[in-house]
Amino acid sequence: MGFFSKKKSGNVKKEKEMGKLINSRNLDENTRRLKERLKDCDDIVYKEFRVGEKQNLRFLLVYIDGMSSRDLLNVSVLNSLMVHAREVPPEATEPGDELFKLVRYGGLPASELADKDNLEDAVLAILIGDAVLFIDSTEKCIIIGAKGWPMRGVSEPNTEALIRGPRDGFTETFRINTALVRRRIRDSRLKLKQLSVGKRSFTDVGIMYIEDIAEPELLEEVFRRINTIDIDAIIESGYIEQLIEDNYLSPFPQISVTERPDEVAASLYEGRVAILVDNSPFALIVPTTLNSLFQSPEDYYDRWYVASILRFIRYMASILSLVLPASYIAVTSFHPGILPAKLVISMAAARQGIPFPVLIEAFIMEVTFELLREAGLRLPVPIGSAIGIVGGIVIGTAAVDAGIVSPIMVIIVAITAISSFSIPNYSLSVGFRMLRFSLMFLAGILGLYGIMLGVLLIASHLVKLKSFGIPYMSPYVSFVGSDYKDTVVRVPIFLMGKRPAQIARNRIRLKNNRNLINRLEQEGSDDKE
Amino acid sequence: MIRNNDTISPYQLAIIIIMTVISVEAFSLAGDAASALGTDGWIAIVILGIINIFAVLFMIKLNSIFPGKTIAEYSQIIIGTIPGKILTSFFAVYLIIVIAYVTRAFTEVIKMFLLFRTPTEVIMLSLILVCTYIVRGGIECVARINELLFPILFIPFLIIILFGLPIMDFSNLRPVLQTPAGKVLTSIPRMIFSFGGIELALYYIGFMKEPKRAYKPLILSVLFLIFFFTMIIVFCIAAFGAKTITKIIWPLVSYIRLISLPGVFIDRLDGVILSLWVLTVFTTIVSTLFIASYSISKVAGTNENKQFVLPLVIIIYYLALQPVSIAELYEWGSIIFPYAVAAFIYAVPVVLLLIAKLRKLGVKQNESN
Repeated sequence: MGFFSKKKSGNVKKEKEMGKLINSRNLDENTRRLKERLKDCDDIVYKEFRVGEKQNLRFLLVYIDGMSSRDLLNVSVLNSLMVHAREVPPEATEPGDELFKLVRYGGLPASELADKDNLEDAVLAILIGDAVLFIDSTEKCIIIGAKGWPMRGVSEPNTEALIRGPRDGFTETFRINTALVRRRIRDSRLKLKQLSVGKRSFTDVGIMYIEDIAEPELLEEVFRRINTIDIDAIIESGYIEQLIEDNYLSPFPQISVTERPDEVAASLYEGRVAILVDNSPFALIVPTTLNSLFQSPEDYYDRWYVASILRFIRYMASILSLVLPASYIAVTSFHPGILPAKLVISMAAARQGIPFPVLIEAFIMEVTFELLREAGLRLPVPIGSAIGIVGGIVIGTAAVDAGIVSPIMVIIVAITAISSFSIPNYSLSVGFRMLRFSLMFLAGILGLYGIMLGVLLIASHLVKLKSFGIPYMSPYVSFVGSDYKDTVVRVPIFLMGKRPAQIARNRIRLKNNRNLINRLEQEGSDDKE
Repeated sequence: MIRNNDTISPYQLAIIIIMTVISVEAFSLAGDAASALGTDGWIAIVILGIINIFAVLFMIKLNSIFPGKTIAEYSQIIIGTIPGKILTSFFAVYLIIVIAYVTRAFTEVIKMFLLFRTPTEVIMLSLILVCTYIVRGGIECVARINELLFPILFIPFLIIILFGLPIMDFSNLRPVLQTPAGKVLTSIPRMIFSFGGIELALYYIGFMKEPKRAYKPLILSVLFLIFFFTMIIVFCIAAFGAKTITKIIWPLVSYIRLISLPGVFIDRLDGVILSLWVLTVFTTIVSTLFIASYSISKVAGTNENKQFVLPLVIIIYYLALQPVSIAELYEWGSIIFPYAVAAFIYAVPVVLLLIAKLRKLGVKQNESN
């Protein structure tokens, strides 16, 4: 009796320390507790089996059907314990700690094993998709890494298609995503810190960074913000993004989102930090600057002047999509004198008989276009093309013929739409769309002056904005010469010797090899002579 | 990296000073210069600029005695708490008047060339309110917006203004250097306001980590201003002639109006340039309003200056509405500003420096070595 009470008090003490219920030594009691906790979960499999000459060693294997790999469990647990155990007489014939050690360190040919002694951890492991093996007459249970659920293979990311560049994209499975990044950074200094966020979902959140490039303050800030999250479930990385961003009122995205592992790797090399979330093919990258949202991974794969021209086009497109309709409104209703007389006359002639003021006309067309775009996005692909026909022909031509809008307005709306599609980042283009409408209002009230005031307000907001301590407009607002090499103009790659000064610590990235190549060439030609 | 919001870089200092000094005054500058000295109008600006380089040197000297402090803080050390606060409040009042003046003057320009029927009140209030948004962001935001807008303003402006070369006739600039020296010197006080804004360096140097690094950017910015103003005066006189130019209120706008870009569908550029000029008036008001609210916060003894910005807007709005017409506005300006600007650019730094030297205040040279 004394022996038992001592043991019991030891267990109680342990429970108090951990705040968790320690497993019983009795398998039946464990089974009862488990079934109580996982009541009405009919997808859980309880496989009880006996091993040993006298069939007195009892085991219980618990896992969720569909979340664990049945092949792995069959081969490395059931087969090895039930079949192979018979071929070799076990040294531990009695149930107990000896048996546990035998099984834990010799009996299970699976690569990922861990032992736990309390119910909470066991239940969590089962819910994650691992299998748990309970052994009679020991408190410890063995957790077998047997996660294996139906998952999508690695495929090309739809939202960020490139002409040149790797074709692999993130999937919904966390482990595949981390592997895709690690394959690009074979450096022991690439760190992956895993957290579990969500009180019910226990979602894996991985924070990746390169130790000697990322700033420690940035890392601290990322961890601090993620640790403040207290939520029941994280369904997608968008939850994390919105919970940790700097300014929730801003129309600009302060965290960039990507499906491309190559972009994540490139950002890590720049000293940024990536946040990967289970169940989401979208990785988050912090800190983000406006400049980085205009970059596409392709810019670095193509030759430098191709990339520079594309960058320039993107910047022009974003400016057009922001101010073009507003400028049209301002010029036609306030300052027709700015344009040459011929153009003014042809514009006035086109507007002849149109019942609305320019502002209303522009609003009608812009709103129609937004509706078309949204409808096209939601519909399945075969019907989506019908929307294009409706939009292009019926609304465009018919509205002009009916004399509701002028043909020039249709042109303006079309150019604006095309421009807003050339902004590489989707959430940025949505932000620009929103601001475009406010600028149209301002232009309708105060003309060009109103547009300038609006642009100044946007500029003021951008300048105030910070993403994880980095000014959103850097490098344009913090003069460091080397940072300008990767802005509107992307200089030849051999000149980009340094990492961004605002973000990275260890700044030297490459050595200019141009003169080496030239010298070799020279020596080669000398030899020939 | 997650830094405090209280320092600016030397490059930002230079840009703040340039963007503050250049404002709506640039429009009428050529007319003032020509009416003072005729074809030699640009000489006054060059001489004034050289004087201002020395003034700037005095300011840096004064600030480097008290590194990391602005004039609102160290004037209280040099001449005592109460006189220091009185000086700072004079500064604040002067800056508020400057903002009101600039706002009103620019509103008149906008009304003349862009918005003919919009009420003055709407134009003015919208401009000041847009400025308050960024001023409430603090010193770093003020510095960053200046840095961001500088190339956006000057690159297009300098390109466009060079297209006026065909309409210029450089024989209009003759006779050169025929004005007697005495007349040149007496004309300088009339031009002093064109460099108004440099006195803000007394504050902005205090926001730098090391005042010693202010020499290069500040001298460069004064040189840039000399170049810019001289260019405007020379171009305008060359285009119109010194006699005609005195009859035009805003010679620069009229000059830009004459420019036509070959092959571009924009016919008249004054609308475009005026819209661009909103940027420089905006930065002038922002830098000045920030310092005005900062001075008041130092007089009141608070650390934050955000809460003073919106009340200031009401005062500025009221002041700006006082002049009935543009003529009255310019008359007021010509009475107040020459004395005020001279006092704050030249008298205050020199006197404070002298007193500080006599009282042997500040960081001792030996200790810093």
